[in-house]
This record gives sequence, C-alpha cells and structure tokens, in this order.
Amino acid sequence: MNATLVVTVAGLVSVGTYLVTARSLSRIILGFSMLGHGAVLALLSAGGPAGETPLADRSSPEEMSNPLPQALSLTAIVISFGLTLFLLALARRQNALSGDDLVEDDLEDRRVALLANEESPEPVSEDAA
Amino acid sequence: MIASDTTPSPAGRAVFGLAALPLAGLTVWATALLAGDGSATFSVTWVADLDLVIAFHIGPMAALLTVIVAGIGALVMVYSAGYFSKDAEGVVRFAVTLLAFGLAMIGLVWADSVWTLFLFWELTSITSFLLVGFRNRRAEARAAARRAFMITAAGGLALLAGLVILVDGTGTDSLQSLPQLEGSEAGIAAVLVMIAAATKSAQVPFHVWLPGAMAAPTPVSAYLHSATMVKAGVILVAITGPAFTDVAVWKNLGLALGGASMLWGAIGALRHVDGKQILAWGTVSQLGLMIVLLSLGEPKATFAALSIIVAHAAFKAALFMVVGEVDVRAGTRDIRELDGLARSMPIAFAVAAVSGASMAGVPPLLGFMAKEAAIEAGLKSKGFGAVAVTALIVVGSVLTAAYTLRFLIGMFGGRSDTPTEVSARRWPMTMPAVALTVLSLGGYVAAGTVTTLVTRAAGTLDPAAAEFALLRWPGFTVAFGLSAGIVVVGAALGLVLAREASSPPAAIGAGLVDRGIDEVVVTARRVTAQVQHGSLPVYLVVVMGVATLAVAPFWFAVDLDVLYRWDTPVQPILGLAVVVAAIVTARIDSRLGAALGLGGLGIGVAGLFATYGAPDLVITQLLVETVVVVGFVIGLGHLTRRFPWADRRWLVTRVVISVATGVSVAVALVASRSQPNGTPPREALVTEAVQTGGGNNVVNVILTDARGLDTLGEIVVLAVVAIGVVALGAAGGRRRIA
Repeated sequence: MNATLVVTVAGLVSVGTYLVTARSLSRIILGFSMLGHGAVLALLSAGGPAGETPLADRSSPEEMSNPLPQALSLTAIVISFGLTLFLLALARRQNALSGDDLVEDDLEDRRVALLANEESPEPVSEDAA
Repeated sequence: MIASDTTPSPAGRAVFGLAALPLAGLTVWATALLAGDGSATFSVTWVADLDLVIAFHIGPMAALLTVIVAGIGALVMVYSAGYFSKDAEGVVRFAVTLLAFGLAMIGLVWADSVWTLFLFWELTSITSFLLVGFRNRRAEARAAARRAFMITAAGGLALLAGLVILVDGTGTDSLQSLPQLEGSEAGIAAVLVMIAAATKSAQVPFHVWLPGAMAAPTPVSAYLHSATMVKAGVILVAITGPAFTDVAVWKNLGLALGGASMLWGAIGALRHVDGKQILAWGTVSQLGLMIVLLSLGEPKATFAALSIIVAHAAFKAALFMVVGEVDVRAGTRDIRELDGLARSMPIAFAVAAVSGASMAGVPPLLGFMAKEAAIEAGLKSKGFGAVAVTALIVVGSVLTAAYTLRFLIGMFGGRSDTPTEVSARRWPMTMPAVALTVLSLGGYVAAGTVTTLVTRAAGTLDPAAAEFALLRWPGFTVAFGLSAGIVVVGAALGLVLAREASSPPAAIGAGLVDRGIDEVVVTARRVTAQVQHGSLPVYLVVVMGVATLAVAPFWFAVDLDVLYRWDTPVQPILGLAVVVAAIVTARIDSRLGAALGLGGLGIGVAGLFATYGAPDLVITQLLVETVVVVGFVIGLGHLTRRFPWADRRWLVTRVVISVATGVSVAVALVASRSQPNGTPPREALVTEAVQTGGGNNVVNVILTDARGLDTLGEIVVLAVVAIGVVALGAAGGRRRIA
C-alpha cells in the first residue's frame, strides 16, 4: 500500500474534519470537499499499486492499475461535487435570510436543554386523593 | 371530579357496551372450558429466526383466572357507562385503554412460555400507567401514574433477569412443566421473581404506588386494583412456585413480604378516612395473605390461596364499585363527611354490607369459606411455621374484620338531621356491584361447584391440592373457633376505631420513591442537556470521537510491511502540496483565498490521479474543481470577505479530534490492506469489458455498463441538485428577508 497516499489521506481527513466542525457554513463546505478528496484517494490506495492506464488494447491486465476503484472514484467525485454545489446554494440562501452563513444551534434542542435548569420536574403530592 | 348532577352519557354507554362484548364472550367461553375440564393451546410465531413464539395454553387455572378477569372486566365496562357523566372527556380513550388492559391481562394468564408471560406482564404495566394517569391534567394523577409505572417497570426488569436465569437453569421456557431449579442460581432467580411479584402486587415495601393509584377513575380501581393487575404478582408466584419449592429463600422471602404487607396494609386501612384508600390498603393486606399462602408451597395452602383469589375478586370489585357510586352521587368519599347513606342509598349499602361481610369472613358467604381454608392451611403447615403462619393469618384477619366494619360504619352510618344529599341513582353503576354480591352469596350456596372449579385450577399447580373442598359448615373445629373469634374481636376493634379521626399513615418510602424518580428525571434532563445541546460542531466532534474509538481494534491489525513509499517520486511532492494547500485553505482568513486554496488542492489531487494512470479521473477532477471554484465565488460573493471569529472557539479540541480522525482513517486503511481476502479481479474485468461491454476503456465500461444503474442514479442526483440550486438561488434573489 502506498504510504504517501495514506499520509495524504490522513492529512486531508484531518483538515476536512477540522473544517466541518466550524461554525461558518462556507468553511463546512470546504471541509466536505476535502473529506471527498480524502475518500477518493483512500479508494485508489486500497485498490493496489499504480500501473498503466486501464485500456484493454494498450496494456495487459498485469500492467494496468486496478480499474474498479477508478470507476468508484468517478462516482464519488461527481456526487461530492453535487453536494458541494448544493451546500453553496444553501449558504447563499442562509446569507440572504440572516446576513451571515453561521450554523445556529438547533432551537428545539436548546429548549430541551433548558429543562435541566428547572428545580423539580413537577410537584409530586404525597398522597393523591 | 365528576359533577354529581349530570346524567350518564348515552355515547359513553354505547362505547362501553361495545367494549364489554368481547370480554363477556371470553367469560362465557372460559366458563364453558372450565366446566368441561377442557384446555386449549395455540400460538403465534413472532420472530421465526429467533424461535420467538407467543404461546398460549389455557388449562383450568388459566380458564378460572380468565373467568375472573374477563367477567369482572365486562361488569366494569357496564359500571363505567354509569360512572362517566355526559360531559366527561376521553370516554372512548378510557374504554379502549381499559379493554386493552383487560386483554393484556388475559394474555398474561394464558401465557405458556416465560417470554409470553413477560411480554404481557409489561403490557399490563403500560396500560395501567395510562389508566392511572387517565386524568392527565391533574398533577397528582400524573405523579401517581409515574410512581406506579417506575416501580412496576423496575419489577419487570427484575422479572426478566429472573426468567433468564430460570430458563437457563431449567432448559425450558414452557410454563406448563417447569422443572425444579437447583443450585446457587435458584436462589437468585427466586429473589428476582419474588421481587417482581411484590412490585406488581403492591407488597411492602413496594406498596407505595397503590394508594396513589387511587387517583385513577374508580372503574380502574375496581378492575386493576382488586381483581386483575395486582393479582398478576400472585399469579406469577403461583405458576413459578413449582420451580422453587426447594429454594428456602423463596419461601422465606414470600412469607416475610406477604406477612409484612398483611399487617401494614390492614393498619393503613384502619387509619385512612378516604373510602377508596381504605379499600386500597385493604387490598395490600389481602394480597399479602395470598402471597403468604402460595409461598408455603403446600397443597392445602395453594388451594386456599386460589379460593381467596376467587372470593377477593368478587367482594373487592363490588366494594370499589360502591365507593365509586357514593363518590359520584354524594360528591365525596370521605367517611368523616358522609352521613346517613344507609337510608338514602339502600342498595349500595346492602351490596357493601354483604361484600364487606365476605371480606371479613362472615358466613354465609364465599369469603368465609376461603378464610376457613386459609386458617386450616396455616394450622396444617409444617414445622415451626404452623404457629407463626396461623398467628399471622389470624391477626391479619382480625384487622381485616375491623377495617371492614369501620368502612361500613364510616360510609353508610350516621343519623344526624342533615344527612348527605345524594343525586339520582345510576343503574349501570348499581347492577354490576349487585351481580358480584350475588356471586359472593351464590358461591357459598353452590360450594360444591366452586370447589370443583377451584380444585381443577389448583390441581394444575399441585396435583395434591385437588383433594380439598370448601365447606359450608366446617363443624366446631379449631379453625372455626378461630374464625368466630376473629369476627368478634375484629368487630369490637372496628367499632372502637370507627369514627376515630386518625391521621393517615404516611406511606413509608413513598417520599423516597418520589425523590428517586425526580432525581432520575432531573438527571435525565441534565444528561440530555449535555448530549443534546443543539450545537452542530459539538455533535460532529462527538461523532468523530466515537468513530475514532471504534477504530481502536484496527490498531492491532496493522502490518507495516504492506506499505511501500511511493509509486513515483512525484507522488510525495504532490501529496505534500495537497496537504499544505489543505492547511492553508483551513487557516486563511479570506473567503476568496480559501476558495482558491481549495482549487489548488483539487489540482494537486488530479495530479495524484495522473500518477495512478487514471486519465478519466484527472479530466473529471479538473472540470469539477473549476466549477466549484466558480461556484464559491458566485455563491459566497455576498458574504463578508473574512470568516467570522466564531470559528476560533474549541480550537484545541477540534484539532485533537480532527487529527485523531485522520490518523484513524489511515490506520483503518492499512489494517484492511494487512488482511487481504482476495486479489483484484483485473483479468476478469478486462475480459468482461472487451467481450460483453465492447469497449477497451475498462473504467468507462464499468461505469456505463456494469454499474449502469448506479450511473443513472448519479445523473438523477445531479439533476436534483441542479433544480435545488436554481430554486434556492431564485428564492434568495426575489425575497430578501434580512
């Protein structure tokens, strides 16, 4: 397995994770993009060593690189491309609505969390009539 | 509370009539089955792969209990039709829940496997929670329902553990033929099952939920808290008892819990002033007697216990119905306020007097015969227990007679000039209680028939228990002497305490249980507030952290020998460029700069593709990267040039978790390579591409041919994205809210 590729994958996933845990949606998009790159490179490295372009009329099966991860990677690239564009549109819309692109805390979750500050769940009578 | 001047609701009558039908049908069927000494077996496969079957076997014991559960259920439905007034809310909900409870209870007594038993056991807990908390706008009803549920649910967990040990030890989950359990496991299982029974049957110290459960509408008390749910624990002790006959702790624990409940319940009944509470505490006491008799594990005691189950179902349900009728018609059930009801409610008084006499063990009633059998069983029991158990039963019975008289005098006595005003009679409330009272009388008259039915049921638990009989007139035996003494002393005690305005005993431990429940709820909210706080970044950090931990085992599977440095020396240069571009993109403050950094990174990745002999990927990557950079510029053009400060929080945690995630992915990759389970099917792919797909570009053939459907899906995704982007863009353009 290609150590260089593995290290690159680790770097991309690290930075990608760092970015998706940010507050600003545009940074999250950058992070998603990097995670996508990391995933594609991981697929390639898992498929075995590099080789000739997998063209049946130019190279023999033994010489060529594994075509399967390449086919899978193509799909992955296109899907993460679609995701990135959609997130960009969302960020733009968010900006139009609120003037920034920050990911707010979930209001419903905040409301649930506030319950913890109440002293007692509800009055419990000693002996119900 | 129900206003006393409204008439019963006609719609309610229809609903309850409908709900009574299946129960009445089951009663008739079970009676026929019991009379014919027949049995029925059927099962429903639930999860075939787990051999999970809902199995039912209705032998004499189950049939007898079905007659009680379904029969009283049908009567309670009729009673409910009178209980609820025209303007009462949720009548349909009530009828359906009550019917669901009745059917769950029937499932419980029919159960033929311990798992079926457990399933219906829990179902009765849940439906009972809904019924106790029926008046869900009242805080005390909610609290009582929660308390009842927490205690019975905890008992359910104990039961599950006990049953698992039981099945593990005996090797069978059938309840028909439970072999004796031996060894150290037996003691643990016995304690767990007995605790479960004690929680359900409201035995000391788990009885604290039952008095509170009186917040439920009276039909619920008449059904659940006299004849059915509280009997579930007793039934459990009865049917699992044969497995524990040789386990000392089973018997001792049962005697201790049951004995304590007999006495403490009766004392509670003597001190309360609320008619319903008197009956509830009396029920704790009566259930204690049943548990005591069943844990003796002797034939005579088993027979006596079943007789008391039958007698108790009849008289206690009738008494609850009377209290409910008094409550509805007089507007209170406080014995300090009621006055002169014996004259204004003569039928209710007659019912209460006869059923109460049955409870106190006065002839000529069913309760008398059952109590005689219990005393006989105590006298005949073996070892040191004979004296102790008999004394326990006698003292319990004296107290029972006393609180019965106090109840009757309190509810119906008094001759002052200003008797309590009562509203018009409601026949649906009167008739079921009358019917049950007739049964208490008729059971005495037809002692032979009752004996036949009870011995058939007792015979399924213990063949030797089938020899006994209920006697109308036992003769001047020791037991009869004790019985007579009990009634006399009890009556005297009852008269003394009748109008005593003593303060009700604090339900010992109720406060503790409530505090415990509150603590659980508060802790749950604190935990929820911590884990469900609403912050997306923190959620992600947690998810990634857990994923990192999940990868931990892979560390041991890593074989570094599978690694090689690079395919060409260009790769490390490109790799380094990619990682540096990523870091720069992450750290740069300017949005445009970040977009360009991402573009550069993409080009580096495309270069890596090139070294892998993947021109298709290179082309796609370059195209995509160009569009994405353009998209960033268009999409984020309206945003501020710099990223907001908020991104700087939690920096250290984020960096640590991010690096851990990256390393984990790398470890997982290397570990998967270290354990190969095959070689890439290059040859096959190439042959397939050329011969079947008719193309030389293997990658393209895979995409368009072998994975054609996937590719179609991919195109659909892109189309949906395009529509979404256009729609979002248009929305942003037309109405700017900010």
